[in-house]
Amino acid sequence: MPQYPQVLFKNRKPDRVATLDEYRESGGYQALEKFVGGAVSPKEIISLVDQSGLLGRGGAGFPCGKKWAAVPESGAFPRYLVANGDEMEPGTFKDRILLHVDPHCIIEGMVLSGYSFSASKAFFFVRPSYESSAVILERELEYARQAGFLGNNILGTDFSFDIVVHRSGGRYICGEASALLNAIMGKRPNPVKPPPYPTEKGLWDKPTVVNNVETLACVPHILRNGPEWFKGLSATPHGAGTKLYGISGKVNIPGAVELPIGTRLSEIIEEYCGGMSPGSEFKACLPGGASTRFMTREHYDIPMDFEDLKKIGNRLGTAAIMVFDQKTCLVGATLNLIEFFARESCGWCTPCREGLPYMRDLLWRIENGEGKEEDIPNLRRLCKEVWNSYCALAPGAAEPVISLLDFFEDEVRQHISEKGCPFHAKADH
Amino acid sequence: MPRLIIDDLEVDVPKGSKVIDAAERLGIMIPRFCYHEALGSVGACRMCAVKFIQGPFKGVQMSCMIDAQDGMVVSTTDEEAVQFRQRVIELLMMNHPLDCPVCDEGGQCLLQDETVSGGHAIRRYRGKKRTYRDQYLGPYIQHEMNRCIHCYRCSRYYQEFSGYRDLGPLQIGDRMFFGRFSDGKLESPFSGNLVDICPTGVYTDKTARFKVRRWDLHRAPSLCNHCPLGCNTIANAHYRGVMRVEARYNQDVNGYFICDAGRFGFSYSNGGALHEKRPWTPRIQGSDVSAKAAIAKAREDLDNVAEKYGPGAIAAVGSARNSLESQCMLGKICRTRGWRGPVFFTDPAKLRKTRSALERLDGDIAVSLREIENADFIVIAGADPLNEAGMAALAVRQASRKQAPIVTIDPRPLFLPCDFDHIPAAPGKIELYLGMLISAALAKDSTGFGKEAVDFYSALVAEKGKSEVPAGIFSLAERLGASQRPVIICGTDVTRETTPSFTADCVRLLRLAGKQAGLFYLLPGAGSFSSALLSGTDGEAFGDLIGDIENGLIKALVVVESDPFHYYPDRVRLERAMESLELVVAIDYFPSSTVSRASIFYPASTIFETGATYVNQEGRAQFARPVHHGGVPVWGGEHPPRVYSNSIPGGDHLPAWKALWEIAGSTPDTGAADISPGEFIPAEHAAFEAFGSDNYPVDGIRVLQGKAGLTGNWNSRIEESSQRPENAEPLELLMVEWMFGTTEFSAWSDSLASAIAEPYMSMNSKDACRAGVCDGDRVSLELDNGTIEIKVSVSDRAAEGVLVIPRHQSLDWRKMKDFSVRVLPGKIRKI
Repeated sequence: MPQYPQVLFKNRKPDRVATLDEYRESGGYQALEKFVGGAVSPKEIISLVDQSGLLGRGGAGFPCGKKWAAVPESGAFPRYLVANGDEMEPGTFKDRILLHVDPHCIIEGMVLSGYSFSASKAFFFVRPSYESSAVILERELEYARQAGFLGNNILGTDFSFDIVVHRSGGRYICGEASALLNAIMGKRPNPVKPPPYPTEKGLWDKPTVVNNVETLACVPHILRNGPEWFKGLSATPHGAGTKLYGISGKVNIPGAVELPIGTRLSEIIEEYCGGMSPGSEFKACLPGGASTRFMTREHYDIPMDFEDLKKIGNRLGTAAIMVFDQKTCLVGATLNLIEFFARESCGWCTPCREGLPYMRDLLWRIENGEGKEEDIPNLRRLCKEVWNSYCALAPGAAEPVISLLDFFEDEVRQHISEKGCPFHAKADH
Repeated sequence: MPRLIIDDLEVDVPKGSKVIDAAERLGIMIPRFCYHEALGSVGACRMCAVKFIQGPFKGVQMSCMIDAQDGMVVSTTDEEAVQFRQRVIELLMMNHPLDCPVCDEGGQCLLQDETVSGGHAIRRYRGKKRTYRDQYLGPYIQHEMNRCIHCYRCSRYYQEFSGYRDLGPLQIGDRMFFGRFSDGKLESPFSGNLVDICPTGVYTDKTARFKVRRWDLHRAPSLCNHCPLGCNTIANAHYRGVMRVEARYNQDVNGYFICDAGRFGFSYSNGGALHEKRPWTPRIQGSDVSAKAAIAKAREDLDNVAEKYGPGAIAAVGSARNSLESQCMLGKICRTRGWRGPVFFTDPAKLRKTRSALERLDGDIAVSLREIENADFIVIAGADPLNEAGMAALAVRQASRKQAPIVTIDPRPLFLPCDFDHIPAAPGKIELYLGMLISAALAKDSTGFGKEAVDFYSALVAEKGKSEVPAGIFSLAERLGASQRPVIICGTDVTRETTPSFTADCVRLLRLAGKQAGLFYLLPGAGSFSSALLSGTDGEAFGDLIGDIENGLIKALVVVESDPFHYYPDRVRLERAMESLELVVAIDYFPSSTVSRASIFYPASTIFETGATYVNQEGRAQFARPVHHGGVPVWGGEHPPRVYSNSIPGGDHLPAWKALWEIAGSTPDTGAADISPGEFIPAEHAAFEAFGSDNYPVDGIRVLQGKAGLTGNWNSRIEESSQRPENAEPLELLMVEWMFGTTEFSAWSDSLASAIAEPYMSMNSKDACRAGVCDGDRVSLELDNGTIEIKVSVSDRAAEGVLVIPRHQSLDWRKMKDFSVRVLPGKIRKI
């Protein structure tokens, strides 16, 4: 098994969280000392991050430097940074691992990005089931304050910046950036369509940047080692950095691993997950959480990068790879996902609020032997039509469904013609 | 102006218009649920999808979310868009009950329309329908959540537009619920608009529910005559009864909405649930007679009085309830027959205040409700918009939503459904504080100032030193100084007689300083504008007549749609005076105290039964069309009627002006010669010249008669107001209006009974301390002719030196020797 450089997971311990001292020994807070100390202008930070090619790790893959640069220079004060640690995409757990591995890496990244666009306050938005992470974070934030890396007059400069841990109410939609901002403001967390973009008018109408936790954690390393070093970490020429992959499903060793972005799927499964479980063959996987398309054996060797997955019409998403084997009913798996999405729709727009329960009903009927031939074209059209919903929740939810019909229509038809789930039947015999 | 093509038709629209509006201009009604002009676009229902073919957007998009832009080519009939809209309907109908036959919204249901027009007929979805538990939302609104299509109109109207918080969205996904946290009466006095704004039957009008199908209703454009605003309504009648009232859109007046008093306060016209409360039949000395007999007897008795004592012994009494037609007829009869009057006001001071308001209101400074919404600073001086003219409060809220600062200068601890700064001010201090605010906002050397303005300004500035300064007034003044379109709303109820005119001067000063300042008066009733015009410069009020009744100069009263007993503050005196009269002829639709005392009574038609013109507080004449002939409603009693006749039971009523004409107008020798309003209105006042037969009925024109310019005699006024011993005991007793419970309409509309709250007296905490009472205490208050018992509400937001009591129908308050009285703190006793 080739050993790749560990950046975010450098201080990973089998049984505990890395301490502030351990983080500093590994080079932590050097970037903060250098940049907040005033050696380089805040704008330079944005430019370095932009050059590094860091793409947002939350799922959409938006260039991080571009997002920061979108905060207008003439924008109002105070400005806010939000670390999105809601992590409710099914199958995704990398941010939680990262929080339990090296919280200071995230804290330093937050201070630096806040510095880059003159924010004075940050919210760490964390899902309520991550209470243990929130407690760790609050404890480590206090250590960072005591060490002078956070709070008023950081390292004796006139830059003041603090981080508040905000526990989410616990809904999937709260991870959507604009809904998240509503949630922080105490409003009903419905998404809001830009313009204005949060970078112009976000929290309380002030410029606000929302970044994923992993994205922020990359920042200190980029600033300390330079953008070229970061680019060089990638396994593909067009990628940049390492990536936390969270693998679950029918593999021998599921878990989160840090690998060069663009590492091939086959290598991830075989080298780092100990291969498929005994008796299991790779049938398909969801490459980046529940709102990406099923990927079949055909793409088993694909480099797991934003670009490469886009080329085959898929998305890297959160790089939460869910692996399914030949014994798993994908209709049942998809039904499971749709049940989640139908439950978590915020209820704002019709295609999502009513369309997802409709899909759930059709899939449930197909899985339970009540499916009809005409349900297939109906499902197909529904998947297409939910693209006209207000935010990206329903289109994302439709991805596994439409790809199920694209790649496994025979399996779906078998459910209908045999009036029941063939996989269940086999299990019964 | 962007030019775009929709369905092959070219259209120019104002910049900022949405594509859905642009289509509407072409007569293409794109289906919609969540979009509403008053609420804006939010893109929730996804029903207004159209296909964008050319321009910056491509493909199926929501037409409510995209601004019309040059060069756009849009198709509303594109296959993909149509299919998507069909899908949205299918999705909405997945859970919507098919209970149209028993749903009160049936026949006026947007969802029904869109479902049928969208062609969704066959149900494909095989799942169960979702069900909810409905809530009790009070006496007016029926909740039926199963019908909800989650368009968010209700919560956006209720919370964002009208500013109340107790109804909104709960839960998520397909379990979304619109309602209150728990069962209970809706707090907003504008809740009835939920019925109009809900595109389906979630909120229906409880007062009308299950009585009649929509298509069986007689409908006509009508007006609300409960307050001076003249909100536009649609009256709905069936089986000789008014069934419900809805809001009618008027861009300049009420917009899309009306208040609950106007919507639910119509049952007086039906005589209540058992139809007993409305006097349907002509009466002589309390006995029912034929219409002919009543008219002949009234004519004869009036002639006798005129012969015996001279025509001046007959006085005519109208009111602000009168339509313009009735008021002009009163004027015509008095003029031609030499009667005393007509008087329209009870309180002479209120007549003078209203008249001085009209004298100052010209087309430049008079603003409509719509202009209030667009104001960027609002001062409310001696007015309680929520209670005196509900929709004005909603207009103020719209300005507040656009960041306009709102300042109230008033003795009452006011409430408005928006953020505002309140400066407690006894009536005598209102002008002082208003002047302070205005002078601090303006610079002395404003270029537009002439000598008069400089003098006025200097007088205002000179006042500043002579009084304590309310907190925060200078920071407010700074914002007023920066405003472009300030509006002052001035009341005529609790204010001093000089205040309306002084306020007009302040508005003039703001205009001379270069601002598009506007003035909005709250007058004391629907017909008060025209009645003040018709009262003339030396007109009297009923309060001026009572002495002459007592000393025998007046022997007969003709009382038309008026009830002095409701307004006169000394009931004992009034009763004695009425006893001494030889003849009282009453024409009315309320079973008022005056009607029950009348020697001869003739029933008048209500606004629903006759064409009636009202001139609202900004001088806008509007016409209410009759919706039905009326009579004792068929429902409620025995049905079908077992007594057959060839006339309508209770159908003898006439428009008040017509009854008056029959009694005193037409001459006996020529028979009952007909006359139409267009023939007699123009002669009564120059303002109504345009109301001739060729133009009648007149709807929508403004008849302002005020003159521009400063009055020039403000010096003395300001000194007078600052010299009043405001803080000296005793306390000034202010009788005020409430939205529910003080008007004649609320007294006779049992549909409003459940909205009426218990009366309470407001007073400042220092005064309460002096009087030895606490918040929540019940006290007895000793007045000239007896005591009243009332609960006390103590607040620092009430001005010092005043007691505020509503003219509440459950309160026997008419025990005062005069319209304005003062009470020593010792007269308040805790019980």
